Amino acid sequence: MTVAWRARRGPGWVLLVVVSVVMAAPVAVILWSITDPSAEVWRELWRTRLPGMIVDTVALVALVVTGTVIVGTGLAWLVTAHEFRGRRLLSWLLMTPIAIPGYVLGFVWLDTLQGPLGARAVRSIWLCAAVLVASLYPYVYVFAWSAFREHSPRTVDVARTLGRSSLTAWWRVVVPMARPSIAAGAALVAMEVLTDVGTVRLFNVSTVADGVLRVWFGTGDRDAAAELAVLLVAAAVTLIAVERALRGRAQYTQAGPRSTMLGNPVTGLRAAAVNVVGWGVLCLAVVVPGVRLVSWALQAQRLGQTQTIAGDLGFHVVSSLKVAGSATIACLVIGMTMVFVARERGRWGAALARIASLGYAVPGPVVAIGVIVTLAALDRRGWWPGDVLLVGSFAGLVYAMVVRFLAIAHQGIGASVGKVSPSAVASARTLGAGRLRVAMRVELPLARAGVIAAATLVAIDSLKELPVTLLLRPFGVEPLPVWVWQATSESLWVQASVPSLMIVAIGMPLVGLLLWSVERGAQVVS
Amino acid sequence: MRTSTMRTSSRKTSTRTLVSATLLIGALLVAACGNDTGGTAEGGRQIVTVYTGRHYGIEAVFDEFTAATGIEVRFATGKDPELRERLVAEGANTPADLLMTADAANAELAAAAGVLAPVASEKLDTAIPAELRSPDGTWFALSRRARVIISSTERVDSPPTTYAAVGDPTWKGRLCLRPSTHPYTQSLVASIIASEGETVAEAVVSSWVDNDPLYIDSDTDIYKAIAAGECDVAIANSYYLGRLQTEDPAFPVIITWPDQEGRGAHVNVSTAGITANAPNPTGALRLLEWLATDGQKTFSDANFEYPADPSVEPSAIVTAWGPFKGDVAAVIRLGEFQPAAVALLSRVGYE
Repeated sequence: MTVAWRARRGPGWVLLVVVSVVMAAPVAVILWSITDPSAEVWRELWRTRLPGMIVDTVALVALVVTGTVIVGTGLAWLVTAHEFRGRRLLSWLLMTPIAIPGYVLGFVWLDTLQGPLGARAVRSIWLCAAVLVASLYPYVYVFAWSAFREHSPRTVDVARTLGRSSLTAWWRVVVPMARPSIAAGAALVAMEVLTDVGTVRLFNVSTVADGVLRVWFGTGDRDAAAELAVLLVAAAVTLIAVERALRGRAQYTQAGPRSTMLGNPVTGLRAAAVNVVGWGVLCLAVVVPGVRLVSWALQAQRLGQTQTIAGDLGFHVVSSLKVAGSATIACLVIGMTMVFVARERGRWGAALARIASLGYAVPGPVVAIGVIVTLAALDRRGWWPGDVLLVGSFAGLVYAMVVRFLAIAHQGIGASVGKVSPSAVASARTLGAGRLRVAMRVELPLARAGVIAAATLVAIDSLKELPVTLLLRPFGVEPLPVWVWQATSESLWVQASVPSLMIVAIGMPLVGLLLWSVERGAQVVS
Repeated sequence: MRTSTMRTSSRKTSTRTLVSATLLIGALLVAACGNDTGGTAEGGRQIVTVYTGRHYGIEAVFDEFTAATGIEVRFATGKDPELRERLVAEGANTPADLLMTADAANAELAAAAGVLAPVASEKLDTAIPAELRSPDGTWFALSRRARVIISSTERVDSPPTTYAAVGDPTWKGRLCLRPSTHPYTQSLVASIIASEGETVAEAVVSSWVDNDPLYIDSDTDIYKAIAAGECDVAIANSYYLGRLQTEDPAFPVIITWPDQEGRGAHVNVSTAGITANAPNPTGALRLLEWLATDGQKTFSDANFEYPADPSVEPSAIVTAWGPFKGDVAAVIRLGEFQPAAVALLSRVGYE
């Protein structure tokens, strides 16, 4: 037999298959019911809510993606193409909305605008889209920003010597070259919108993800809910395909040495305009909600409504840190393993890696119940010693988080490792180092910034994660989102303010770390 | 030639290392699952484990129980259907002893899924009226609440007095309702189906929809919307008024007890039932009995609800709203009609 054939059967393949199966299992068990589709359910859904759900979902995804691309790319252009006082501070702060959970931003804006706009006007797809844009634009912003920074200033200079204005030079040269990054950011945003079940309900927007829960929890019919969930997965797969197609086979190379783009100094009116736009967005996305939360927290203090669910504030913070920290480490380790094992295994390897990332395309509650069903089935085998149970264990919660967020880690690490110069790897190999040694000693250190960026994204996401945390947390672990949920499910906004602020406070240093790593050349997308 | 053999062998070693590293991590994760399973006694202390879909004020109730009996309570929260799915999946391995739900339909669905065990207890049967517990003893109501018609004290002189009258064209554009995703709406419609049949229920719900209601997914916000002049009439749970009146005794919203000439106001309940695979069924029974007797007042007052035991006085604010006739007969049938209610709501285009 050939060497290639033997390699295909090697332990690497086994590992790859095992990891993919373990990661995809919770989604698979839920989607399994599609093998026995019930035409009756579909007919009923089609006659009643389904068309409306599809329209709402498509409209919302379109609005939010368009909004985030415009805002995210626009702001990235603002802070890279111009030089003005406070530019650096602004470019960092513009990233901070990523630390605010969408469901928190949602209830803050809902309550704030309810007075002036009226309860009816507030509950609209437009405002829902606006809130989602405010909380999700950082994904596009950070990708566009890192892509713009990468561009050699010479590209713009060449365009300008050829008679283009600064703006057209950007529009015709730099933005198209950053298209893959922007598309990747937009795809991430689309995925977040598709799977959102918290914000949409606040604004009476009835999406397919919301419908999955509506059918499931309203009638207890898991099979019908699963059939709807298949629609979501199909939409996500289509999105990824579209993103790949948009990206095309384009490979851009940079003219000249890599150096940081320097912006045009702007003064006077133009500087004022740049500042107004930048700080204006920041106000809407962070400052106003932040001020509102702080005032609620003070009110809670005054009313004595700051009681926690269990223990004290520190206890909840420690719970959150433990969960987010463990999820991040697990995502990193598994993500790295997938990157290094899958890349040598061609198209099939890539396909398996994609299957392992399926959990990102499914709403959190569906993942949570899929994980419970999977783990409970294992628990029933009684393979574990003593009375170890996976459901309700810390490991079970971490596993669910990895299922949900592995895609982010895998994508980020893959992109950064992919940028490591092949000659560095070749040199190390020629000097006799094994693959693992090269990976650990050459590739990972060179891709360090990217690994850190991926880690912070996973950490921020798992810090904010609600449905999985709610259903899978073990006794004695009460992360902050659970406390937020407990209060918001009863519309007690005042009581939700303290834990919300804590989530944001923990997220802020992570945002700093993310930007630090992007400045050091982290690749966040492949 | 030589290099190629070298490459293959070193590749093998490194993948093997990777595989063993992954296995090691897996083993560590399994080890991390550790001893956090359900148990009757840990270090001599007795523990009862509760899954609860009701969240408001339960900590205080459990603390009081621990103080009275020395039995510790630990609990996991979630939405009723999620906790039910969790119990079904866990089967014999569940750590949960008691399931508490925020509504009767979900208790019934849990019983139908086989995750609740029937209980025979004289204490429970004496304290809880027969129409407020499942006939087979799988769940028991602990508190009652009414879903009532609320209206503005400033803009409405004669509020509707029946659920059907809420669909009167007078209220077109002046009505607030909770979306159909919420169990409160679902069980209200289930109760109309239970008492008056599906045809009547469909006519009633359609007339609400024709009034172009403003859907607000929060009873508190529905009350506030009336106070703010967004709508004049709405259907909401009574206890939210208790919370709002504690903050502002002059809150400009008034309750009308619906259908007093007919079946009475729609009543729903918070329930508890012992799980089919409870590791500590005796502890669970003690907690359940305590909640149905000594704990009744704390449990209900925490949320301005009516105690399930009619001999226990509700709180002062609640008593001030006066007596009313409640449709208690429908309570144990809410679960049966919930799927039909959800389908009906979809059919008539209720948001």
